[in-house]
Amino acid sequence: MPEKAKIITVTGGKGGTGKTLVAVNLATMFKNAGKRVLLIDGDVENPNTYLLMNGELENKAPVYFFKPSIIETKCSKCGLCSKNCATHALLHVDGQYPIPFLTVCSGCKLCYKICPEEAIKEDYKTIGWTYETKKNNMDLWIGELKPSEARSAAVVEALLDNLKELLEKEPQKYDIIVLDTAPGAHCDVELLLESADLIVPVTEPTKFGKLDLLRIIELIELLGKPYKAIINRSSLLGFKEKFLEELERKDIEILGDIPLDDEIVQSYCQGDPLMDENSNFNKEGEGYKSFITIFENLNKWIREKKTASMEGA
Amino acid sequence: MVIVAVPSGGNGGLTSILNPRFGRCESFTFVTVEDGEIKQVKTLPNAASDAMGGAGIQAAQTLGNNNATVAIVGNLGPNAAQALGSLNIKLYQAPNQQITVKDVVQEYIDGNLQELSGANVGSHFGMGGGFGRGRGGAGGGGGGRGRGRNL
Repeated sequence: MPEKAKIITVTGGKGGTGKTLVAVNLATMFKNAGKRVLLIDGDVENPNTYLLMNGELENKAPVYFFKPSIIETKCSKCGLCSKNCATHALLHVDGQYPIPFLTVCSGCKLCYKICPEEAIKEDYKTIGWTYETKKNNMDLWIGELKPSEARSAAVVEALLDNLKELLEKEPQKYDIIVLDTAPGAHCDVELLLESADLIVPVTEPTKFGKLDLLRIIELIELLGKPYKAIINRSSLLGFKEKFLEELERKDIEILGDIPLDDEIVQSYCQGDPLMDENSNFNKEGEGYKSFITIFENLNKWIREKKTASMEGA
Repeated sequence: MVIVAVPSGGNGGLTSILNPRFGRCESFTFVTVEDGEIKQVKTLPNAASDAMGGAGIQAAQTLGNNNATVAIVGNLGPNAAQALGSLNIKLYQAPNQQITVKDVVQEYIDGNLQELSGANVGSHFGMGGGFGRGRGGAGGGGGGRGRGRNL
């Protein structure tokens, strides 16, 4: 039976730990190995994965979000919508039409459902966009939240709805799907963690990195997902050994570590993925070798998981 | 006749202190002013004081339902400002100091308060404890950034 695509989510808690660097290069290494790869950038407040690949934002599609519209010819000014609005997004004063406040509206549609006069119209506003593009023989999906909009998780949901639809229609289209999350441990991130078969949190050997790693791991464990961490900038100030010891004490498994390396910075700035087979980076470089080790460990982990699930079946 | 609403501390009333947090004050004191004199005083607890969100909008609704046409405020966020604006309630900036409801209404009667054209603090400025006082003066632009993620 053909295999279902493996979904690997790259996350990390803290911002700037190298999540996108890892997501892009893992995806690239799978592509080098002949896999059909889809990379999804779920950091919808700062969508920038395409920059690391010198890609363009293409095939823009709007993400719509409910907004209530009052039909004044039907409205009896009863105020029921306002009384029941949990976020107080409908201002209602006796004898006047309710006034929607879209900045606090959660989009729950309760007002629309309970209005006895059917005087609330299901209206929509654009809160962001999705993009689909191709770069370096990989497919790339990107979500973007419109600046000033608050409901970022709705944009992530739009990406995941598209993914679900694709997996239903063409389950064999991809071998590997890499999801890149935003920093933090909020619902945008949670949605992408929930969708994962395997999770790779990327951290750095600092107090900040550790704190945020432990927070994201708490969330991953709540969701009952398997994870192994990557320590980026591992040669930073000699913190690595102590940091590794601490992670070991907490039973956090490590997929590998990435030292500070000028070539990584160079590849990042040029938008030329370090691990791409067409790139001309030094194959003996510390950064390059560290990614090779990480990729080997990741494949070993995937094989172990597969064996375990076959034995379980 | 004008009904002046003042966000107040405790149970409100003329001797209570003006609360600079509009949406999350403990109470509102409604003062009826006629011919330059205080004629009537009514107090109401603020139902929005511990609302999860939209406190400014809910508080504005309380003012609208009690026929206030003027509000004297300390800090005013963007949603509250927009809500009060849509109810045609005139806004005046309270002085940046501790002041009783009675004194601040007298300042209004004497024409010493500046009219406010919009928000003077960002979203969620008044959340959490403490008495934060913001910039005074009329015409403060409100650049609020509220985050909400409950889908």
